[in-house]
Amino acid sequence: MREYQNRKNAQAKAYYSDRFYSAPPVPTTDVATDEVFAADLKSLESKFKIAKSYIQAGQMVLFINPEDIKAVMIHLKEELAYNFMSEMSAIDFLEKAGEFELFYQMLSMTKKKRLRVKFSIKEDQAVETISDVFSSANWAEREMFDMFGIIVNNHPYLKRLIMPEDWNSYPLLKTYPLIGDEAGQWYEIDTIFGKEHRAVVGPEIRDTKRVDAKDTTQFARVRHEVPYGEAPSSKPTNYAQFQEDGGVPLITKFNGEQKTLKDRK
Amino acid sequence: MQTPNRLKPFYENLVFEKEGNQMIVNFGPQHPSAHGQLRLILELDGEQVVKAVPDVGYLHRGMEKMAENMIYNEYLPTTDRMDYIAAASNNYGFALAVERLLDIEGEVPRRAEVIRVMLLELNRIISHLFWLATHALDVGAMSVFLFCFREREFAMDLMEDYCGARLTHSAIRIGGVPLDLPSDWIDNLHKFITKMPENIADYEGLLTENRIWKMRLEDVGTLSTEEAMSWGCSGPTLRGSGVAWDIRKEEPYGIYDELDFKVPVSDKGDSYGRYKLYMEEMQQSVEILHQTIPLYKKSPHGLMAKVPQYVSATKEELMTDNFALMQHFVLVTQGMRPPVGEVYVATESPKGELGFYINSQGDPYPYRLKVRAPSFFHTALLQEILVGTYLADVVTIIGNLNIVFGEIDR
Amino acid sequence: MAQHKVNYLQESGLPVALTTVDKLVQWGRSNSLWPLTYGLACCAIEMMASGASRYDFDRFGTIFRASPRQADVMVVAGTLTKKHAQFIRRLYDQMTEPKWVISMGSCANTGGMFNTYATVQGVDRVIPVDIYLPGCAPRPETLQHALMILQKKIRRESAFQKLKPKRLV
Repeated sequence: MREYQNRKNAQAKAYYSDRFYSAPPVPTTDVATDEVFAADLKSLESKFKIAKSYIQAGQMVLFINPEDIKAVMIHLKEELAYNFMSEMSAIDFLEKAGEFELFYQMLSMTKKKRLRVKFSIKEDQAVETISDVFSSANWAEREMFDMFGIIVNNHPYLKRLIMPEDWNSYPLLKTYPLIGDEAGQWYEIDTIFGKEHRAVVGPEIRDTKRVDAKDTTQFARVRHEVPYGEAPSSKPTNYAQFQEDGGVPLITKFNGEQKTLKDRK
Repeated sequence: MQTPNRLKPFYENLVFEKEGNQMIVNFGPQHPSAHGQLRLILELDGEQVVKAVPDVGYLHRGMEKMAENMIYNEYLPTTDRMDYIAAASNNYGFALAVERLLDIEGEVPRRAEVIRVMLLELNRIISHLFWLATHALDVGAMSVFLFCFREREFAMDLMEDYCGARLTHSAIRIGGVPLDLPSDWIDNLHKFITKMPENIADYEGLLTENRIWKMRLEDVGTLSTEEAMSWGCSGPTLRGSGVAWDIRKEEPYGIYDELDFKVPVSDKGDSYGRYKLYMEEMQQSVEILHQTIPLYKKSPHGLMAKVPQYVSATKEELMTDNFALMQHFVLVTQGMRPPVGEVYVATESPKGELGFYINSQGDPYPYRLKVRAPSFFHTALLQEILVGTYLADVVTIIGNLNIVFGEIDR
Repeated sequence: MAQHKVNYLQESGLPVALTTVDKLVQWGRSNSLWPLTYGLACCAIEMMASGASRYDFDRFGTIFRASPRQADVMVVAGTLTKKHAQFIRRLYDQMTEPKWVISMGSCANTGGMFNTYATVQGVDRVIPVDIYLPGCAPRPETLQHALMILQKKIRRESAFQKLKPKRLV
């Protein structure tokens, strides 16, 4: 029987998992323990619906509705002094829950507090841009689109940023394998030489674990190189043959025995 | 006779000449100003830039996806290659993020903390020297390049003495540092940092009052405070616009709250202000290194945290105690399983706020790792800051913003 | 590395008899190799360090040129990504004969540690390479060693060889 391949998640899996082990959660505390965060939460709850909120690792995490994101950002920037957006991106939970989870990491320099705004969207749902509130979102949203395929409405220039323009599929989805799909693996050969050249070049060698000590056609044993295809030898190579034996005209002859290392300063 | 291929001279629907004096120049992914693979498509009106579109991604190696397929310890050397000029800062950012996820930040021994700060500040000096060298080379002061690289060689000798590698260190691990300082390292460091202020004075003597340098850098690339905050600038770029925000002071990590150093801030917002800021930061790093030497001498032995669930034991214990060996075997082959949750940790790398966001679902591999690279947002800033400048200023601004493509594209 | 059976160690099958003109011309070419600045990633920093004060590259007669038309040897230093692949081919085609390629570092040799969707697994999938230089990042002395080996290789070749189609991979 062939090995079972989980199509929904093409990433590497731990080869052993204890059936009865359940990982503990990172400890969270209630927002009420911190006054600054509690005040911020109260101000936000008065205007928006906050599904869940807690403090984890010293930062407050809020779960909001996807439609509110722009209003929340404006409120954070103007009312609550969170005027720096550190980053925003998405997490692919399609296998587990059928949705993407987006997060926006905010920073308030005056209060010295960090805050994370999160919400979940379905696979074909779009989000509203916040690049007119925080310009740093301009490229962060573009990268999110490039990596996950999440469309951002009203973005000034939503094109692929990091992958080539004609790349197939979105790389950071869990269904996309690390080594890429067929279009990705042959991309450079196809663009430069055309599909006919694939047979000339051959597929990429992706097996990182393949090692063969006796193979001298694909491997050159370091320090014991032998000509192609001959039996491996134990005679070490002489690397100091930089120059021909008779020396090169007008060029200083290299003398391997002479030590020229001076004292290090 | 070349292999026939399909490449024809075309530039993706760009027209080279437009009406009037306008022209499109492709500042291609390979160009001599040594900043990596930036492609800028500039629309020029005469010599002035009317529109600038930066195109990145030419060094995208898929590091975030790699993290989803590797265990945490295995991923550490990959973080080296992000900001490859100051590799230990990335290692530290990642290690700190994982330590905060595991909640073992308090278990890291004192000596390891001191060594970490020494490496970080040494990397800050290395990075700023590199910045000065390449920036001066672009602007035209080519001898500064050679001088800075000479100092950099001494600093890299120190790093090589410590961890064996000049450029890609992996010197900081999750739970501490793997190696203690060699016996004469402190003396060499002391020699280096006593000589450093003279060298910095050399560079300042060459550049600070230089009429040409001032003309090339003053009022070029002016960044107002609101723009800097909105575009997510951090580090010297933000401090050059008047915002006194340094994560080492405001949200201290490691032993930074015990060290006494100043954070330079410039209110002008132009390239010359940022240049002076970098020079001053190098001086402050030297001050910090002076202070860490007595702290190291007083610190007790102990380099890695003693958390058997997540961190392997020391080599002496592994070789003598069977349980330590068994645990080490499991940690190396399967990987440690952190708790379920997420964490975002920002540290002050020489380029700005380097943040690591790790979301773990209890597996030995991170479920999502996102790196907040400062240079990414500084490159996004280019599309706004380059408008209205002259073509020669474009090179100055790119050099001055200290961008490195390993972290932009990851 | 190459999929096809290419014998890297074989002396590249040339006429053994080199005339004085050959030797003179190749001596001149080998001692004034002008590299094309092709630093892509971390290895570029080591290439710059090898051109800087301590490991001076200038004593080999090299001058780093930015334009492919004026360069002899292309030192591919760093990771080649699929987005960039067509540009390296374009620049290689724009270089004038005679030209050589040194592939510096693991990423340029075989894709290195980046076994991912966006990395070309070895620059020799796209351009023909003469010298492979291992390391991550290789020390500047290693780059100088590679250059000297390349010089030795050049001196063994014939000066007027017809533009021999270089085997791609």
